[in-house]
Amino acid sequence: MYTSVLTDRRSFIKKMAMLSAMTAAATMFPGILFAEEQERGLPKSKGLDWKKAPCRFCGVGCGVLVGIENGKAVAVKGDPRSPVNKGLCCVKGYHSVIAIYGKDRLTKPLIKKNGKYVETSMKEALDLIASKMKETIKDHGKDAVSIYGSGQWTIPDGYVASKLFKGCIGTNNVEANARLCMASAVTGFMTSFGMDEPMGCYEDIDYADVFVLWGNNMAEMHPVLFSRLLDQRSKRNVKIIDLATRTTRTSKASDRSIIFEPQTDLAIANAICYEIIKNGWVNKSFVEKHCNFNKGLTNIGYGLEDKFKFKDKPQKISFDAYKKFLEDYTPEKVSKLSGVSVRDIKYMASYYGDPNKKIMSLWCMGINQHTRGTWMNNLVYNIHLLTGKISEPGNSPFSLTGQPSACGTVREVGTLTHKLPYGVVMNKKHREIAAKIWDVPVENISPKPTYHTVEMFRALDRGDIRFMWIQVTNPMVTMPKLKRYRDAAKKEGRFIVVSDIYPTPTTDIADVILPAAMWIEREGMYGNSERRTQYFEQMIEPPGEAMSDTWQLIEVAKRLGYEKQFYYKKETHIEEIYNEYTKFHKGKKHGMAPLEVLKKESGVIWPYVDGKSTQWRFNAKYDPATTKEGFDFYGKPDGKAIIWQRPYEPAAEEPDNEYPYWLNTGRVIEHWHSGSMTRRIPVLHKAMPFAYVELNPEDAKRMKIKTGDKVKLTTRRGNIVLPASVNERGIPAPMQVFVPFFDENFLINDITLDSFCPISKEPDYKKCAVKIEKV
Amino acid sequence: MKRLTIISLFTLLFAVFIIVWNFSYQSGLEEAYIPINDKKSTSYFLENDGMEYSKLDLDYSNMPFDENHQRTLKEYYKNRAYYGAPPSIPHAVKEDLNIGGNSCLKCHQSGGFSEKFKAYAPIVPHPEMTNCKQCHVPQKRNTLFSETNFKKGTIPKIGINSALTGSPPTIPHPIQMRKNCLSCHATPSTPKEIRVSHPERTDCMQCHVQNNNTKTSELEIFIRKNTK
Ligand code: SF4
Repeated sequence: MYTSVLTDRRSFIKKMAMLSAMTAAATMFPGILFAEEQERGLPKSKGLDWKKAPCRFCGVGCGVLVGIENGKAVAVKGDPRSPVNKGLCCVKGYHSVIAIYGKDRLTKPLIKKNGKYVETSMKEALDLIASKMKETIKDHGKDAVSIYGSGQWTIPDGYVASKLFKGCIGTNNVEANARLCMASAVTGFMTSFGMDEPMGCYEDIDYADVFVLWGNNMAEMHPVLFSRLLDQRSKRNVKIIDLATRTTRTSKASDRSIIFEPQTDLAIANAICYEIIKNGWVNKSFVEKHCNFNKGLTNIGYGLEDKFKFKDKPQKISFDAYKKFLEDYTPEKVSKLSGVSVRDIKYMASYYGDPNKKIMSLWCMGINQHTRGTWMNNLVYNIHLLTGKISEPGNSPFSLTGQPSACGTVREVGTLTHKLPYGVVMNKKHREIAAKIWDVPVENISPKPTYHTVEMFRALDRGDIRFMWIQVTNPMVTMPKLKRYRDAAKKEGRFIVVSDIYPTPTTDIADVILPAAMWIEREGMYGNSERRTQYFEQMIEPPGEAMSDTWQLIEVAKRLGYEKQFYYKKETHIEEIYNEYTKFHKGKKHGMAPLEVLKKESGVIWPYVDGKSTQWRFNAKYDPATTKEGFDFYGKPDGKAIIWQRPYEPAAEEPDNEYPYWLNTGRVIEHWHSGSMTRRIPVLHKAMPFAYVELNPEDAKRMKIKTGDKVKLTTRRGNIVLPASVNERGIPAPMQVFVPFFDENFLINDITLDSFCPISKEPDYKKCAVKIEKV
Repeated sequence: MKRLTIISLFTLLFAVFIIVWNFSYQSGLEEAYIPINDKKSTSYFLENDGMEYSKLDLDYSNMPFDENHQRTLKEYYKNRAYYGAPPSIPHAVKEDLNIGGNSCLKCHQSGGFSEKFKAYAPIVPHPEMTNCKQCHVPQKRNTLFSETNFKKGTIPKIGINSALTGSPPTIPHPIQMRKNCLSCHATPSTPKEIRVSHPERTDCMQCHVQNNNTKTSELEIFIRKNTK
């Protein structure tokens, strides 16, 4: 029999009597809620105040509510009003506020003097930076100073960086770590559609019947979106197909797991197109009205040598020529190359081809970090264009991002060497627009792009770049072929400024370390994968002298003599900057919501036209910017999207006798990027304390390696010893290994290869050849 | 002739039968037809759509009460980074390669005593969500990467948050994703401090209203504009 702990039944009845009396009282005096009494027992503090923000971590961009108590962030819950996550977060989001309070937070500026870091004041540190910049420009020219930012920059951070360097100083040495993760997505969009960022939005998930994940371990990397897929599956029985090189949690949770040989995704995508054409699944009227066919150069190289240059030469081709080209990609031929069965290729093609199935392709680093990343992006769009399954609810090729503002800042503000907030530096008109808004002479803006990220660090090594300011990123963990660039940064005559919140391997190479205000310690905006711009207010005070990246840049700009351009007031600078920035995007194609709206809503999708978001671009039904019936791919002058003929080409470095394994790198759910924040969250660090090398169980058995054994990985760049992991988080295919990159004690990037996609300049972190030995 | 009449009569009857049968079948179909809504949007976690599961599944009014294996509230909070955080997994997890799903739900959907852990398995209040390890992670080490200054917020006290002596206490915590009150308040793994005395009454929010003493800056408060 159940015995009550709190009370017995008799007193319960008494309570009920009381309650009815109280209810009666309440009905007699509506509005009186006995609030005071009800709150006895609750904390006596001022109480939690829940304030909305986008999550600090990944590109999904979940809305979170941060619980603030006595000036400290103490709790997180999902924002139920956010259309992104509808109240759900992942383990990183839920514990994100803990990352603010690590004991080793940087709170004072540090200057390196005789090999030692000495505390100083913010004023002195900023003075030093400004004078070093002036000196470098005087001695070595404008193109010797550079800034390297990140997809975690807020929109105002990136905007002032671009304005200062491109507009005022006059150098295009502005890059961001998004080059390492999103560049291929951008060039993919630009070449296929002439306009960056997905045409659809997350709501597509609620309409699609089939999801094909191209090399995308969504269960770990985009967990909240993956939960949305699972939710749809339980309600509508949708199909999830995981096409990958490694068996992961996503593979286990999907309806079909298809494993392919690295780099052969190029051939698989072409084989799907072949099947679509062969079986008459082409949406003829769509293709005729809305598509052109192009081919580009082939054998385009891998960017391994310094000062590598490449420019594609697009050429129009006919549908028949394209059809002919695809004959090399019959499922039978591709099956031999890729290891995917003919049946599986036909199975995927039949879903893409079925006019009654709505289909979403999702991808992220698998396709982007690829020496043919631009091509891979083009190829996925080909499939959707041939079948006309694009730009409508549920039919959506969707390129996901990894950082909270890779889209919002790097892609939209344009913090890449060739970009301006609107358009590119090569275009005179675009330069004029920028010069006008920035209030600088148009000659200031150089028409020539300088260095993309890898080349920028190579230039630092060569001595072409002498001064580098690194903000909100950790390149000394994340650059490929890391050793070369670490040595470069330590060379004589280089001056490195690092703004960060914790000591990292990157602050180790700094001459000046600036303590930064993190996330909700300042005001700002992020933009996520679905074009959603999200605002957050300052909720807590930054520790010590920590200062937002935006204000650091403004202070230095003023010291360099650009007071006129950096007129912003301390109290209102974020608003002023945002209002100035959105001038670049006026119009139906990229209009941004005004700040008041951002403050109210849990993010707003651009284009924001007449008080309404455009959820599906290029489709006349949803997009007011279209000028044609049906679809209008207005990024291209003739309104037609491009189907690209792109062949299969091998990877830069493939396994051979000496280095017989493939080395793949990536993330885990617990840690975000280089781990500088998530490792300071106890629950996450305890869940995933160190990096490891994942082996295929068969390979491990043959080499007599068990989990925990030490394994030496050797590539042409060097070697590293890691503990083995067999049958744990993931299972690589035979003759492949996987290493997560979050752990600064095991810098896997010391041995990765700095080959990149010649079009996007994004490195391939997923493929190089490695030798494995038990030690 | 006679035979012909009989035959045609039967044919006619048969034809009529077929027509009637078809008609009734069709109208039956119409009845059975439920318009399919193309879009089923995700609908989790709103705070105000109350007790979904309390009325379902388990017989909470008949749960064993085992004082020897009851958790305390302190233990309950131990593996939560802050009040309201998703708990970490306090035991080893055999398979790392899955998202959780059935292997977690086997024990945590309906609870029960585990000989191995000498404890009752807590029951998950949101069993419809299967990507368990998205929010709940096991703890493999006890060391830290670096110390933290993070402080858990204040935790509401128990038992004295009623309006009147003996009136039903208010709900001091957010109920997002905790739609099944009984899974935490009426099972053998429930800490004794928060175990409910009347699990048979499943419409909890009939008497217990939410009061987590929080303001949500973003929620617009309805203010009656007094018109003269
Ligand atoms: S899925 Fe990404 S954005 Fe959402 S809570 Fe997790 S880390 Fe944050």
